[in-house]
Amino acid sequence: MAIVIQPYRPEHEPAVQEFNRRLQQSSGDPNLVFSSKAIPRWLPPADNNPVWNELFVAVEGSFVRGAYGLKQEVIFVRGKGAYRIACYHHPLSEGIIDRSYASVGVLLARDALARQPFLYALGMGGSERPIAKMLKALGFSLTPIPFYFRVVHPQRFLVEMQALRQSRWRASMMSIAAATGAGWLAIKTAQGVASLRTRPGDFVVEEIGEFSDWADELWNRAKETVHLAAVRDANTLRLLYPSQVSTIKRLRVGRNGTAIGWAIIGERRKDPKFGQMRVGSIVDCWASPENAPAVVKAATQALEKDGVDLIVSNQSHHLWWRAFERGGFLKGPSNFVFAASRKLTELLQPLEEDRSSFHITRADGDGLPANF
Amino acid sequence: MTPAVFDQIRAMASDIFGVPPERITVASSPQTLENWDSIQHLNLVLAIEEKFGLQLSPEEIEQMKSVGETAKLVESKLQATSR
Repeated sequence: MAIVIQPYRPEHEPAVQEFNRRLQQSSGDPNLVFSSKAIPRWLPPADNNPVWNELFVAVEGSFVRGAYGLKQEVIFVRGKGAYRIACYHHPLSEGIIDRSYASVGVLLARDALARQPFLYALGMGGSERPIAKMLKALGFSLTPIPFYFRVVHPQRFLVEMQALRQSRWRASMMSIAAATGAGWLAIKTAQGVASLRTRPGDFVVEEIGEFSDWADELWNRAKETVHLAAVRDANTLRLLYPSQVSTIKRLRVGRNGTAIGWAIIGERRKDPKFGQMRVGSIVDCWASPENAPAVVKAATQALEKDGVDLIVSNQSHHLWWRAFERGGFLKGPSNFVFAASRKLTELLQPLEEDRSSFHITRADGDGLPANF
Repeated sequence: MTPAVFDQIRAMASDIFGVPPERITVASSPQTLENWDSIQHLNLVLAIEEKFGLQLSPEEIEQMKSVGETAKLVESKLQATSR
């Protein structure tokens, strides 16, 4: 029986649950799970919303053999204007557990491209992972998004990294420690030297429940400083970071009574690669370049106050790299990859020249509201 | 199925799946070839499209369940284009 890819509807839900059961039972991986509900909890489609999620299933008779999501959104490209694009996310195929369905992965990716040629994927766990390899074969360009970290509690960090002897992460961290001295002193010194250059100026930080008009002004003021960014006006931000989501904090950073930037911060879910550490994330941020250091500082202080052991962030824009480095962050190996389809890559030309002016953070793609 | 088309598909499959050509038969499939996973399936699709100047539809991609069925599919598409 032929496999047909179609929008995920409530009548598919039992077959999706059965699909999830097969994937988890055969692979033993609890993360291999697709949305059990046809209507996505985060960014459900609604009239006039600029950003929404839609889900698709690959159906063979009464079985679901694959599924994926598209996050439809609008990006701003400097000098070219606004474009509707989509993020390809959560592709899952029966081929993972049964190779007679090896074609399903190809069908999903090509179906997504047919629905939205301006397509991207983000994260993927690195360019050597199957999904990234598949997208590369389909002509996507791959760009790693630099990773920054700041150790808040070196003692705890070193103990936890000691326990993670096998991890690539630990190896990198340890090599930094080894190269710069030893233990917590080395970490503190490396971060301290970096932050000596920080002069973020005075600022006032306020936790807000929801974005409002001031965010529009910030968006309009700063968007010309980036080559590419998903729209971050107040309306979009209210949808991305709804007030009822408590896993994140929305920070408004101001000076002399005027907003100069904002940041989204949160504590990441426990992840074996970080052991028992509490890991905070600067998930998203926005400001004019001259105010980026103040936003980084404000977000860092808020997470430190919350008691995290380590703060991490992914940032693609060179001015934010500088702000993070001056804020005492160190650069680490990144497995967070931006993959742009052929059509999107054409739109973003000259990509090589401009990619360090893209504004891509952990908040882009499908990671919110909890998986950042 | 003509031997010429099968031989070409077999040569591609040999390259993509890393198996000597003599081990590839019409019955070779994802179940019998260790490396025939989703990514290599895509590579086979792309290689066929490039080599023969064809565009494979989702239904056709799904029909590629073995090397023999793939060769048959390519042959029928080539015949349809030459008509």
